[in-house]
Amino acid sequence: MAERIGIFVCECGPNIKEAMDLDEVVTFVQGLENVVLAKAFGLLCAVEGQALIAKDIKEHDLTRIVIAACSPKEHEKTFKQCLEKAGLNPFLLQIANIREQCAWVVEDKALATDKAKAIIRAAVRRVAHHEPLEVKEIECQPHALVVGAGIAGISAALTLAQKHRKVYLVEKLPCIGGKVARYEDVFPSLECASCILDPILDEVLHNEHIEILTLTEVQEVLGFYGNFLVKVNQKARFVDTGTCIGCGACLEACPVKVKNEYNEGLDERKAIYIPYAGALPNVAAIDKKHCLRWQQEACSACREACPFGSITYEDTDQVRQLRVGAIVLATGFDLFDPARAPQYGYGKIKDVYTSLEFERLVNSTGPTEGKIVLRNGQVPEKIALVHCVGSRSSKFHEHCSTVCCMYLLKFAHQVNSQLPGASMTGFYSDLCLPGKKAQGFFNKISQEGHMEWMHMKDPDSIEITQVDEKTLIRFTDVTGSPREVTADMVVLAPAMEGAKDAGAMAQIFDISQGGAEGFFAEENSQVAPVSTAMEGIFIAGCAQGPKDIQSSVAQGQAAAGRILSRLVPGEKLALEPVTAEVDADLCCGCKLCVGLCSYKAITCDNLKNNVAINKVLCRGCGVCAAACPSGAIKAHHFTDTEVSEEIKGLVRHG
Amino acid sequence: MVDAVTTSFEPKIIGFLCNWCSYEGADAAGRARKVYPANLRVVRVMCSGRVDPQFILEAFKEGADGVMILGCHPGDCHYKEGNLQTLKRYHVLKRVLSRFGIEEDRLRLDWISAGEGDKFVQVVSEMTERMRQLGPLCR
Repeated sequence: MAERIGIFVCECGPNIKEAMDLDEVVTFVQGLENVVLAKAFGLLCAVEGQALIAKDIKEHDLTRIVIAACSPKEHEKTFKQCLEKAGLNPFLLQIANIREQCAWVVEDKALATDKAKAIIRAAVRRVAHHEPLEVKEIECQPHALVVGAGIAGISAALTLAQKHRKVYLVEKLPCIGGKVARYEDVFPSLECASCILDPILDEVLHNEHIEILTLTEVQEVLGFYGNFLVKVNQKARFVDTGTCIGCGACLEACPVKVKNEYNEGLDERKAIYIPYAGALPNVAAIDKKHCLRWQQEACSACREACPFGSITYEDTDQVRQLRVGAIVLATGFDLFDPARAPQYGYGKIKDVYTSLEFERLVNSTGPTEGKIVLRNGQVPEKIALVHCVGSRSSKFHEHCSTVCCMYLLKFAHQVNSQLPGASMTGFYSDLCLPGKKAQGFFNKISQEGHMEWMHMKDPDSIEITQVDEKTLIRFTDVTGSPREVTADMVVLAPAMEGAKDAGAMAQIFDISQGGAEGFFAEENSQVAPVSTAMEGIFIAGCAQGPKDIQSSVAQGQAAAGRILSRLVPGEKLALEPVTAEVDADLCCGCKLCVGLCSYKAITCDNLKNNVAINKVLCRGCGVCAAACPSGAIKAHHFTDTEVSEEIKGLVRHG
Repeated sequence: MVDAVTTSFEPKIIGFLCNWCSYEGADAAGRARKVYPANLRVVRVMCSGRVDPQFILEAFKEGADGVMILGCHPGDCHYKEGNLQTLKRYHVLKRVLSRFGIEEDRLRLDWISAGEGDKFVQVVSEMTERMRQLGPLCR
């Protein structure tokens, strides 16, 4: 049965009407094949216009509709609803854009009239082949995935769990708490870090809604907001978390010593280890890379030493598929490697430390149990604190890491408390002390002990060398004069960068990084700081940019808030109806499309030698349909026939 | 004679515009009332990657003198990498077209973002002018 096409031409006040000869347009399109009705109306998007369309659909038994009006970006949704109300499938509509792409851009009235005729003719030819499509719904997944169990990730997880959302808290290390768990004190309150953090970690560990997956990394993410499928790999710990109490008997028995990365390499740990005293969960883990059993040696010292039978050499990595509705990336930061800037002598001069190394040195659970000592065991008398290492630099990063001035002041306080006789020199070119507490903190610390300030010309104008037994710091001061100072110990404040694996994370989660500094790019730096261009993927804490603890907490909670406000349990998600579909009989199984699909929506059935498209994952780009050599893939609403008819309508007959 | 052809001949140009960037760019030109040659006829596709080479051949066969594919800038594709597929196909197609005796300039690929109304006008104007120079496609 032939389609009964109705054409409604919008005058759009004078916008379209005066740009072309509308009577001629209407007369012309009325004569096109299958057209039973064509009429112009003042303003179709107005209530009266919509009522007219609905009335005519019913009265004239119209089966396809062409609206010649403004851009589909303006009112396609309006007219789709109009069709739906009149009992017609909304996909049986085609918009002919004769305003933005004709009336407004063609000066000559005759040319505009001709162009409008061609545009409407193409729409008429196309719409005759439209098929009704159904908008299917699925229920959203209210669960969430948080990647990174530092202070930002934990804040997000706890906020979500408060609303009884199931949270998978994925952490690649064997313990949670992130960098903050390795600090002794925090600025500006100078509270002990573990006093703040431990109750929070305890809450996370015992929260029934939070499932912690340590030693776990994300491998693949499929799907979209409300419906992500995340593949994670949980590496074998080789220690039963249920029975290990962290007594440390196995650590003593283990014969293998390696550098302890959790103390920034300042001491050694065993191949079976607890990262640092007080690490949570307080459970040992075996480092497969260094354990003798994986070097073909028959050691079982730890198993023999364990009083609880907790050592499980037979553990294997576990790949799991997690279904979640939203994701928070809180993967934190790493420090700029100061060895990249030879002027700081880092790695060559033995008592030049990074700030994270100093954090461990001054920490009671660290390599010296909190004693500030040089590598030779002596107590330093002169300590240099160097600001802006690799940050605010013309050679490395442009950005300010925002926290270094404050933690260097904290270090000064820690030195003053422990070594009241020591003198300190701060090398800075500017101080960053914003907010309601920082200046007061500076004023307070500046009055403690022996603190001297050296105002450098710029952050790069400093060189640290070893001369005999002394560490010599040469710099250009703010007046341009060369100066030099000696020190026993130098503590550098290297720039904060996105975590080392942030690039790989960005690829897996399909989000972007802002620049060379490696932080994830936010959707909008002003008004959408925790969302990303990928709907449903949020960022929080130092993964987004350098920040202090309170800002990291705020972002973690903000990300959770964004998720709670939109991802409501029971809510339906409309699936994209414009998807692609495979005709299994025509498919030859070449799999060309499989590799082209950005959404991994196409899978191959090797037995049947054909492919199938997952309707939930398909976003309807049509790339596969264009690539299919046997024409087996149909891109719904943009089928070969529909596009071909449109082309014919546009170019044929003058 | 050549002059007579170039002044009286008005080429027909088919443009495949992706829904997210280029079609928006074309609309932006319209909203700003930027006048450009009426020779362009637009087919909206969800992604420039949907443009099957057969659509281009069909456009030429049906009467187009020039064909444009306009997509999102590389890196900005709404569907991640659809435009990069188009870029690959474009290079192959150019070679195929020249074998058919269709001048390479009759097919143009360009990237237009949603905010680039001016660039859209410039690209369409350049294409139209070039097609006027080339004259009608001999079939």
